[in-house]
Amino acid sequence: MTLWKEFAKGWVIENPILVLALSLCPALAVTSSVVTSLTMGLVVMFVITSNNVVVSIVKKLVNPKVRVPVYIICIATIVTLASLLLQAYAPLLYKALGIYLELVVVFAIILARAEVFASKNNVGRAFLDGFGMGCGFTFAMLIIGVIRELLGNGTILGINILGTAYEPALIMILPPGGFLLIGYLVGLFKLWNMHMEKRQRIRGEAA
Amino acid sequence: MTHDNNDSIFKVAFNLIGACIISGLIIGAVYSLTAATAAEKIVELKNASLQEMVADADAIVEIEGKHEWHEAIKDGEVVAYIVPAESKGYAGAIELLVSISPDLKVLKYSILESKETPGLGDKAKEPLFADQFIGKDAEHLEVTKDPNKTELIQSISGSTITSRAVTKAVKEALEEVTAFVQGGE
Repeated sequence: MTLWKEFAKGWVIENPILVLALSLCPALAVTSSVVTSLTMGLVVMFVITSNNVVVSIVKKLVNPKVRVPVYIICIATIVTLASLLLQAYAPLLYKALGIYLELVVVFAIILARAEVFASKNNVGRAFLDGFGMGCGFTFAMLIIGVIRELLGNGTILGINILGTAYEPALIMILPPGGFLLIGYLVGLFKLWNMHMEKRQRIRGEAA
Repeated sequence: MTHDNNDSIFKVAFNLIGACIISGLIIGAVYSLTAATAAEKIVELKNASLQEMVADADAIVEIEGKHEWHEAIKDGEVVAYIVPAESKGYAGAIELLVSISPDLKVLKYSILESKETPGLGDKAKEPLFADQFIGKDAEHLEVTKDPNKTELIQSISGSTITSRAVTKAVKEALEEVTAFVQGGE
């Protein structure tokens, strides 16, 4: 049960973007279409999971005073390896990912999970935490991406949904629209979490 | 703060150095394994993108004395010149390949590298914008926001800078080819 919780918390209760409010910058920059949101989400999912595993393996060897630089080196190594392998075996995918891949190195959420969770837990739990957080990140990116592409371009995954009569709201594709939308979503997640907490409290009292 | 051995500056430094060395070794090892394949793939991709520029060409030959210039040959005649072009977009350089017909009109272009905003400047890759260039000569390579001026290039809404950059690069390529063709004859 607790293992399931480690995985599940990343989706809603501690959603990296919409509740922890980490990595908002990329969430804003690459979510103007569904494809880029999804790609970015999957890349982050991969890096955060493998980084959590590596950090939790080496946690005893790392001097606490330099733990942050060491974690950064670790993230950078994983990202570099991924980009080298993609370059050699999937050059088209590598081209599609472009600068996003290298940007992942500085994502706050990855460092945060290494520092807050992976450095204090065993490999299994760190893996689940990273995977869950990665899923939550992808989930949030996907929500933002779908709404922005739909309203800003009338399409989803490039397929026209709203018909030709729909006049796309350009602001949704531009950064201000992203900010507005993320604000509303943060509010929505907050409401949901409050609602769930309340329900749990009532249930707790009843029991 | 406890003053045990772990606080020694050397221990801290060695810890960091160790991490760097391990990371360097891993990256180095993987690089030496993948470098050859990656280089091959780059050449392959480049040839594919050249071939894509002029689909019905029999052969694509490099033009001597010109760096990275190619001519597409069909039935023994030159049907297109394929030249690289570059200009500064909204977010960094945009690199393109432009193919120009012997009568000095644009055949098409393809964007090799760009960092333009996805969903905005990125649309320069899509046919809606790119197809406008087909058959244009140097005079009509100009960006406009006026939808009535169909003889010019219609700007991508929200991405005027990208539209201008691409148009400028294509125009420069066309001018260079013009100079080359007329100089050669």
